[in-house]
Amino acid sequence: MELSGKQGILTIAAAAALLSIGPAPLSGQWLHYPTARVPKTAGGQPNLEAPGPRAVDGHPDLSGLWRAEKNRPCPPEGCVDMEIGQEFLDFGWSLPGGLPFQPWAAALRKARMADNGKDDQTTHCLPQGVPRLHASPFLRKYVQTPGLLAILNELSTQYRQIFTDGRPMPVDPQPAWTGYSIGHWEGDTLVVHTAGLRDGQWLDRDGSPITDAAKVTERFHRLNYGRMDIEVTVDDSKAYTRPWTVTLHQFIVLNTDFVEDNCLENEKDFSHLIGK
Amino acid sequence: MPRKRRIGQAGAAWAIVVYMAAPLGAQWLKIPSPGIPRTADGKPNLTAPAPRGQDGKPDLSGIWQQPNGVKYTVNLAADLKPGDVPMQPWAAEVYKHRQDTLSKEDPVGTCHLPGVPQMNAVPYPYKILQYRGEITILYEAFATFRQIFTDGRALPDDPNPTWMGYSVGKWDGDTLVVQSAGFNDQTWLDTGGHPHTEALRVTERFHRRDFGHIDLKTTIDDPKAYTRPWTVTYELRLMPDTELLEYLCTENNRDTQHLVGK
Repeated sequence: MELSGKQGILTIAAAAALLSIGPAPLSGQWLHYPTARVPKTAGGQPNLEAPGPRAVDGHPDLSGLWRAEKNRPCPPEGCVDMEIGQEFLDFGWSLPGGLPFQPWAAALRKARMADNGKDDQTTHCLPQGVPRLHASPFLRKYVQTPGLLAILNELSTQYRQIFTDGRPMPVDPQPAWTGYSIGHWEGDTLVVHTAGLRDGQWLDRDGSPITDAAKVTERFHRLNYGRMDIEVTVDDSKAYTRPWTVTLHQFIVLNTDFVEDNCLENEKDFSHLIGK
Repeated sequence: MPRKRRIGQAGAAWAIVVYMAAPLGAQWLKIPSPGIPRTADGKPNLTAPAPRGQDGKPDLSGIWQQPNGVKYTVNLAADLKPGDVPMQPWAAEVYKHRQDTLSKEDPVGTCHLPGVPQMNAVPYPYKILQYRGEITILYEAFATFRQIFTDGRALPDDPNPTWMGYSVGKWDGDTLVVQSAGFNDQTWLDTGGHPHTEALRVTERFHRRDFGHIDLKTTIDDPKAYTRPWTVTYELRLMPDTELLEYLCTENNRDTQHLVGK
C-alpha cells in the first residue's frame, strides 16, 4: 500500500485494502452499558491509573475490553475508514530498520502491497491470526477464567484460547490460524508461547509473512487498570533472519461491548477485488 | 420415495455438507481435564453431582456436545408432531418451498452463521465459560462465540438485529434461563427450513442434572411465524479430556458450486 506524503493520505489501493474492515468508525460503538467495578476518582470519574484488578488466585486479571493504540493520526479531512494504528499496516513499524525479512519474504510483501492486498486472508473472511489480532482496530475482550484466557475478537466474531492450566505444548500441533497457545505467570506477567500457526497467513495488512515455523512469545503485562503492554517476540527463521520483538500498547474500553461483525453478511466485494 | 423421507435425506445431506457430521468421539485431541470427578479406573464420572461455583449456583462450564448427530440441526422439531409446530400460513408456504427445493437457499450452506437455537443443535462441541457477570460460549463450529449477559441487565427494548441475537440469563433455582431477542431474519431455525422473523424470542433453559449431562429446553416464540410458542428438549453431553478443534466453513470451501437444489 502506497502512502502519499507524510500525512498518509490513502490511495485507492489502501482504501481497497480496508474493505475487509467495514465502515463502522470506532467511536460508533453505539451499544452502551456501564462496565462493572471500574475504579473511580474522588470526583467519580473512571480512574484508569488505579491498580489493575486481581483474580482469585492472586494473579493480575487481564479481563476487559481492550483496543489497540491509535498511533496513526487521521489526515485533516478525516480517515476514510476506521482509525487504525501503525502496526495494523506494518507490524514491525516500531523496529529500527523494520522487520528483518528473508529476501523471499521481503519480495512477497512487496508483491502483496502492489496487488492491493487482495489475497489477505481476512479479506476472505478467514481469521486474523496471532500476533496480528493485537493490532486490529476492532475490539478484543479478554475473558480470564481458571485454566483459560480466552481472547474474543470482535473482527469476524472469532476467539483465541490461551491455556493456563499447565498443559504442555503439543509435540505436533494441528495447524490453526491462531495456533496453539499455552501461558504461565512470571510474577505479574503472563508469558504465552504459541506454535502451530497455519502457514501462509499475513502478519499485517502490508502482507508481512508469518509461517508455520513461527514460535511466538507474548508477554502480557497490565500496567494499571487502563493500560496493558504486550511484548511480542517472533522467532520465524523461515521468513526472518533473526527473532524480533515489538511492544504493542493496549487501552481499556469502557461502557460498551462488541458490535456483531459478520464478514460474510451481504458480501459483495469478492468479485470486485482487483490486483495489478 | 415417500416425501417425508426424502426431505429428511435432503435436509441431512445439507447439514452434512456444512457440518460434516463427525462421528461422536472424533475429537482426536486427548488432553486430560484437570480436577474432574473420576471413577476408580480413571474414567470421568459423568453421573457425579453437578459442580457449583463460588456463588452457589450450578457451574455449566465444560465442553459440551449435542449427541444426536444432525437430528435437531436438520429438524429442531424432530421429536414433535406437526400439529405441535403451528405455522402461520405464509410461514408454512415458506417451509414447504425450502423443503421442495432441498434447502438450496439455506444460508448455512454458504457458511453464514446458523443463529440461535440452531447453533446449540449442531454436532460440533462447544465450550461454556461461566464467570461473574457473563457466560461465554466458544463454538467449535464456525470458530465463533456467543455472549450471554448474567449481570442482571434486561434485554434491550429494541436490539439491533444480529445473526446470533442478544442474550441475557438468570438463575431460576438450578436452571439457567436465557432470553434472547434481536435476531435478524436471515437464519433458519434448522436446515430443513423452519422459518422465523425478527420478532423471534428464544428461551433456553439449561439444567445440569449431573456432572456429564445438561437438559436443554428451548422455546420458540415468534407470533409472526407461529400461532403459539413451542418447546423442544434435548440433552447435551460433556466431552471431557479433549479440546475444541478449529473449524472454519470458509476455509478451502469448494462445495458451493456443487450445491444442487431444484
